[in-house]
Amino acid sequence: MRLHLFIFSFLLLLAGLLSAGGCATAVSAGQNTALDGTDLVKMTDDMSAKIMASPAVQRQYAEHGPLKVVVMAVENQMRAEILPRGPAEAFTARLRNLLSKHTPTQFTWIMNRDAFYRLRNSELPVDLGPSPDAINPTHALTARFSSLASEDATHRDSYYLCVYELTNLTDRTILWTGSYEVKKTAVKGMFD
Amino acid sequence: MTRLLSSAIAALLLLLVAGGCVSEQERQASAAVADYFSGNLAAAAARLQPLAQNTDSNFVLNNARLGSCYLAMGKLDEAEAAFLKAYEVINSLGVNNGGRSLGAVLVDEKIKIWKGEPFERAMVNFYLGVIYAMRQDYANCRAAMENALFKLQEYQDAKSDQFKERDSDFAIAYLMLGRCFQRLGRDDLAQANFDAAVRVLPSLAPLADLRLQAQSNVLLVVEVGYGPHKVTDFDGSIVGFAPTPPQQGPVPWPMTYVDGRWAAIPGIHPPPLDLLALAQERRWQSIDTIRAVKSAVGTGLIYGGAIYGAAAANRRNGMSSQDALVSAAMIGTGLLLKAVSQADVRQWEMLPRSIYLIPLHLAPGTHQLSLRFPNARGLDYTWNQLSVPEHGDVTFYLRAHPAAPNMAAMPR
Repeated sequence: MRLHLFIFSFLLLLAGLLSAGGCATAVSAGQNTALDGTDLVKMTDDMSAKIMASPAVQRQYAEHGPLKVVVMAVENQMRAEILPRGPAEAFTARLRNLLSKHTPTQFTWIMNRDAFYRLRNSELPVDLGPSPDAINPTHALTARFSSLASEDATHRDSYYLCVYELTNLTDRTILWTGSYEVKKTAVKGMFD
Repeated sequence: MTRLLSSAIAALLLLLVAGGCVSEQERQASAAVADYFSGNLAAAAARLQPLAQNTDSNFVLNNARLGSCYLAMGKLDEAEAAFLKAYEVINSLGVNNGGRSLGAVLVDEKIKIWKGEPFERAMVNFYLGVIYAMRQDYANCRAAMENALFKLQEYQDAKSDQFKERDSDFAIAYLMLGRCFQRLGRDDLAQANFDAAVRVLPSLAPLADLRLQAQSNVLLVVEVGYGPHKVTDFDGSIVGFAPTPPQQGPVPWPMTYVDGRWAAIPGIHPPPLDLLALAQERRWQSIDTIRAVKSAVGTGLIYGGAIYGAAAANRRNGMSSQDALVSAAMIGTGLLLKAVSQADVRQWEMLPRSIYLIPLHLAPGTHQLSLRFPNARGLDYTWNQLSVPEHGDVTFYLRAHPAAPNMAAMPR
């Protein structure tokens, strides 16, 4: 009788494992050390608050009126982390959106040429703003993401430094700079 | 209780047998692979597209297959999207933790989400790098190649105090990294990567030359042959890769002609990558032993059950129902263990055996480019309108395959 119980329990356990194994999908399980949506929100919220509070930016606005800013995609200097075009643009586009919303009079935003013509050709219903050929930007909003990454038999670590800069294109001076840092670690499992 | 037990065993056996049958999805994937190798890339992509949306255990595999199709078709945006999906899951750790790992060990290895062998993971990154090189996005090409190297890096004992990274065997990624760093204005890092390529494969010395690579404004990425395939031993519990390089023979080597003239490029042969050789280094396999033990215990239980039954039947008073049950349970459990010790043989079939990197220095304008493979039949390619820009460089991808003469992605 004990043997029966043992075999029956074993079968139940196997059935349980089979069903448990099927719960998580390939994209819902696991952890990644890449920058994600949470970083995007935290980083751009932080940067927009800092840029709005910058005395240099305020002084420039007071002296010359709205800053005509061209927005560039993020420059990827990260080790072993791909930053596709979409996310590379999102990290500066969200900052632009936040600043447009909170300080609509201080900045005139100009899309960079590549993004402008690509979006115009895509015929997506997006407000592209003025054509980059119609208006000369006075400032550039750029971002540069760097990282130190390492991977070994047990885990993967990534330390990110994301630097944003608002540069005066007339005299090539940096009007404002801000940075965001984050460290991420993911531990390897049996089949990693 | 006996009836319940028998039904449970029968049901589980049925489940395992059913699990072993080829599903409709697997049939579609096999048909797509056949389409790919017959040169019908559009049909292969159409079959794989719905499969690649499904976030099941074959998600990475089907996206890698789909990426191969699109890359050979020259559809770079689609290829990038497919490879990126695979890349994200490959880079996620702990995807198979919990029930999946336990299920894969105890029940069926195919339960686990396929992330590929390390060389397959490296190839997903390599192809992404090639796509970015074709778009002249050298920052992302660099990142992809660095990640490819991570996937094939060797480590000394991680628990040891003297933990140290070793060079990866993936010489081709070092070469590509060198080119990327050159184009990003970092000649110092370019040189370091060319040096690493030569350390891994000394025959690459003429190709891993800073000046040669700096002057080259056209790069041909040429794939030939068939990648390794998984094979199992007699009872399916031990898996290996076949064929070995000696079994397959020499790699077809290309001769390049520009505007009808042979372009002598030093160091392009032997190729910087031979996946048949790389696959033989199966240092990363972790559950071969578990499967072998399950299989051995299964065999023991089958023999043990049979012997126990035979001994009981030979007793003077014959076999009791209890003896019959014990014997049947041992044989049944043994069969179950044998059934669940089958190796996972899923693999990325589209991979080539070798990849050549051919750097050329051509004058801006339109050129006729031919590639001939003297030691392989049916591999002869000519492009009459290869456009070389005034500034910058172009990367050109070709999957050389006798049944499919048009598997090439033109530079954009």
